[in-house]
Amino acid sequence: MHKVWAVIRREFVERVRTKWFWVSAILGPVLFAGIIVYQIKQSVGGAVRDVAVVDSTSAKLGNQVVEALEASGSFRASLAPAGPGVIDSLRNLVESKQLNGFLIVTDDLIQTGRAEYQASNLGMQTIEALQRTLGRLVVKARLEQKGVNPGVVDWAQIRISLDQKKIAHGRAVSDSAAQSFFTAYLMAILLFMAILLYGVNVMSSVLEEKTTRIIEVLVSSVRPFQLMLGKILGAGAVSFFQFVIWGVSARVLLSLRGPIARALGANPRDIQTMSLPHIPAATLAVFIAFFLGGFLLYSAMFAAVGAMSSNEQEARQAQQPVTYLLMISYLSILGLTNDPSSTFARTLSLVPFTTPIATPVRWTAGSMPTWELALSLVILGVAIVGVTWVAARIYRVGILMTGKRPNLKELMRWVRTA
Amino acid sequence: MAEPVVVDRVTKRFAGHTAVDALSLTVPSGIIYGLLGPNGAGKTTTLRMIMDIYEPDSGTVRLFDQVGGGRTNSARIGYLPEERGLYPRMRVLDVLVFLAEAKGVSRRGARARATEWLERLGLADWRMRKVSDLSKGMQQKVQFISTILHDPDLVILDEPFSGLDPVNSQVLRDTVVEYRRRGKTVLFSTHIMEHAEKLCDRLCIIARGRKLIDGTLAEVKSTHGGKHVIVAFDGTDGNAQQIFADRRLVAKIQDFGQQAELELAPGADAQAILKALVDSGARLARFELASPSLHKIFVDLVGPEAVTATATGGGNGGSRA
Repeated sequence: MHKVWAVIRREFVERVRTKWFWVSAILGPVLFAGIIVYQIKQSVGGAVRDVAVVDSTSAKLGNQVVEALEASGSFRASLAPAGPGVIDSLRNLVESKQLNGFLIVTDDLIQTGRAEYQASNLGMQTIEALQRTLGRLVVKARLEQKGVNPGVVDWAQIRISLDQKKIAHGRAVSDSAAQSFFTAYLMAILLFMAILLYGVNVMSSVLEEKTTRIIEVLVSSVRPFQLMLGKILGAGAVSFFQFVIWGVSARVLLSLRGPIARALGANPRDIQTMSLPHIPAATLAVFIAFFLGGFLLYSAMFAAVGAMSSNEQEARQAQQPVTYLLMISYLSILGLTNDPSSTFARTLSLVPFTTPIATPVRWTAGSMPTWELALSLVILGVAIVGVTWVAARIYRVGILMTGKRPNLKELMRWVRTA
Repeated sequence: MAEPVVVDRVTKRFAGHTAVDALSLTVPSGIIYGLLGPNGAGKTTTLRMIMDIYEPDSGTVRLFDQVGGGRTNSARIGYLPEERGLYPRMRVLDVLVFLAEAKGVSRRGARARATEWLERLGLADWRMRKVSDLSKGMQQKVQFISTILHDPDLVILDEPFSGLDPVNSQVLRDTVVEYRRRGKTVLFSTHIMEHAEKLCDRLCIIARGRKLIDGTLAEVKSTHGGKHVIVAFDGTDGNAQQIFADRRLVAKIQDFGQQAELELAPGADAQAILKALVDSGARLARFELASPSLHKIFVDLVGPEAVTATATGGGNGGSRA
């Protein structure tokens, strides 16, 4: 056991000492801080646009449009009287960035619902906000034309707000569909990246020992299986450490949202709603369990790939089947998140090579009975034992081999005879 | 005391050919033992079976009177393989500590001993540097240190002199001799007979996986004796080639260029050759009665085709499986 520890420690310490570990450790929080700052900036007035309203309606609707735009909170609006040359001078203002854009309303607005917006930047959100505001105005104007009481009109236009509750594992939790979709999606991407990156790390570490020929000294004192186990656990510990750094810094940054917002001149109360989706402890546990399981499963395969290759190029080729296996899960992420209870999703969560990603996604989306989760875990566990057994045999023969990469038939012989 | 190494009729086959064929050898305690043979004779395979890296197809290996190979006893054995390497991106001290830990030495003990050895071999200033910053010669020193850092009772060296510069060759020879003086055992393989002749107490010559002869150096020389004469000329060699070709006087000749080693024909007298040479006008720099060199015995036993292989090869041509 002492020897396995020595291998784990070497693997961990040497990886954590590399530049790349710290680059990615720091890049995570920096990215996260960037997202927070961006969101605060958005709420502070990045979204408020200066627009001019050119009024050429006969009913002088321009004033109402300006009022409605101001009331929406997304615009600072001003009225520009229609006349010759006004469009050109407004264009110059847009050009010189004094104005974001201008809206031209004619009698068509009420009759056919047409208006024109010219701007330096036609953002989706701005267009939608304009359409929404103008829409309400037009409906109101049309109804009033037909003699409907303005009070009734306002009342009739009250917007529906849908209170969304998700039923997850028998309980209703308040969580919007978008949020659980987002959580599941994020988890799947994280799982895929971590398993791939750290699995490839195991492979290159095996390959390094082979190409530098230190392997023969090692296997004369440490059993090949101990060596492989130590490598996998060491690389796993590094990736776990990486996640911990990201997780802790994300929490710290979230708790600093208030001060950051104040520093940027925003009202801290406005951004309280902005947060990471709430992740229940059970979901976190499932995530960790399947991350560890998936990592063990795939890194055993990557270790075998490293052992059967004798240089980087060969390894890149030989790793492709393993990567494709992982890619199946990656390519299914959208399908999984869209309909987590489909036959497709259920199948993926029961196949050992796709379950590490499929099952956490289905669980997070809230459509997985507990017994299915347990079954997935058992299948994954059995697969880990089986795959590690085969990989260890390939590893044992492969690490001392030089020369030609073995074909499938030779691999089978290694597994049988090792 | 139990014999450090007892190999009993081990056989190892690799796809299609037999690398080691029913080989037996015993290494007694406290000596330097040479395993000699041309390239491809099965030396590395034998050592790997002793080290538990390969499992023999049949036969047994006993180390220190315990069944089971090198890995079970790894704390008592230092092994320097023919193809040796270090982690290029690790610090020198860290590599040594890790390799000692893999042998079961405690971390603290390994640190102290590694520092001491680095100082002894003049690498103290390099201990926090990366292995890749070291010259090849320095890396070789680090490899020796890793082999003996845990103070093993048995040291196994596979072609230890291949690729060494003269300075490091000397460091290695000194270390090996000092090791024996302390009552430890050294087993090493080589295809260069000069090294074996200078160092070995006992030896075993193998070819094509089979043992040809073993015993002490003196035993081997007396069994494959015959009278030998070493001749070197100073300037003209007179009529020497003709005299050497006389099968009544000379049974065999090994011409090394600067000097020649003659095996006398049965019943021939060395003095007759000396007289013939002097009469022919040759100027002699050296004329010496000698026991046959190990190289001569080796060539006789193994055959000329193996000698060409020995002359060209610097080491074994890669490992096989």
